Amino acid sequence: MNTQRPYVFLIKITLFALIISAIPLSQIVLEVSPFWLLLFFIYWLIHFPAKGRFFLALLLGVLLDILQGDILGQNALALILSSAFIANVKQSFVVSNSSTQQVYVFIASSIYLGLFLLVHTLIQGFNFSYYLLLSPLSSALFWPLIKLALSKCKHQ
Amino acid sequence: MQFLKLFTPVFIAIFLILSDYKFSYLDSVKQFIAKLISPIYLVVNLPSQLYIWIDEQGATKQALLNQNKQLNSELTRLKGNLQMHNALLLENQKLTKLLGASYQINGQKLILGRVSSVSQSRLKKQIIINKGSNDGLAIGQVVLGSEGVVGQITQITPLYATVLMLTDPTQHVPIKNQRNGVRGIAKGLASNQGKLVVNFIEPEFDVVLGDVFLSSAIGSKFPAGYPVGKVTHVEQHPDDPFLHIELTPIQTTEQLEFVLIGSNN
Repeated sequence: MNTQRPYVFLIKITLFALIISAIPLSQIVLEVSPFWLLLFFIYWLIHFPAKGRFFLALLLGVLLDILQGDILGQNALALILSSAFIANVKQSFVVSNSSTQQVYVFIASSIYLGLFLLVHTLIQGFNFSYYLLLSPLSSALFWPLIKLALSKCKHQ
Repeated sequence: MQFLKLFTPVFIAIFLILSDYKFSYLDSVKQFIAKLISPIYLVVNLPSQLYIWIDEQGATKQALLNQNKQLNSELTRLKGNLQMHNALLLENQKLTKLLGASYQINGQKLILGRVSSVSQSRLKKQIIINKGSNDGLAIGQVVLGSEGVVGQITQITPLYATVLMLTDPTQHVPIKNQRNGVRGIAKGLASNQGKLVVNFIEPEFDVVLGDVFLSSAIGSKFPAGYPVGKVTHVEQHPDDPFLHIELTPIQTTEQLEFVLIGSNN
């Protein structure tokens, strides 16, 4: 089994994450759904040592902003700072069991959501559905599945 | 060095947020990237397109004949209505001429589009339609359903366009009461009920349950006279100088399949 090259693998999982993010869902399901791109990017950060990871986070966030019609830079800022948290706890993350990893993912997703809503509130006012607050939880719950699926893909 | 590695992209992201919010310098870059990633919608819509194709192939001759009969009768009814509309239009033109007024009903060119998908942003209420700049659409054009106004085009690619719905909290629509002409501004609610609230109507004005509000031409953003919503709740708070009015949109998105995109000639 060959391990894929870091940037090739990143392009593949980014495309996949963007496709999942664009799948039409009902409003409530969409609001509670995990931050797919963040989960995929966390996996990549943990398993592939690479340079310019925060610039890559910026690039991927901008792609998501444009795809979803959000304010340019909103997802990018959230992705950069939540991946900075993961990069900071990387050593501990790698050796942790699945439940501890889920806690880290929950914290990273909460940072992502907090920044995402902060930008929204500063620009468009305090008006959002409270179902959104469940998305860090769903991100943490989906983490073992994402990890399993991507580890299979990584060695193809 | 570590500081720069993290904070340079952070500052770029903040710059992007500010420039996108306050200025439109990056619109052409946004359009270019949107074009590049638009094939993602093609992939996402592939299963539904396939389903529609199989459904169309599997339709029996009898079902098609029945549908044809039904559509013909609907066409006859609409032609009858159009005759009345044309008579009213002529009358309006004559009266405008007699009064020497500058007001006139604008002619509209309408393009038919199909809803490809609904809402993939967490904070925005929007739909994607299968028509884009290749079909002559542009940002800012108004999208209509069979019952009333749906929203406005906010992003465009050659093959797809994103429509920001009336029920989005960032969408503000000038409206007027069909019954007595009372004017206000409708705005979407962030909750999932898909409702609108009306701002700036004072308590002395007559608004009752069941009143229908139409789009008003103030601001020239939306064409005048299209149904927006029906009043489902009216309340007066003692500490609020304006009425609290809730509207249920006339055009619901649950069964919305086709839309018309209007542009002034």
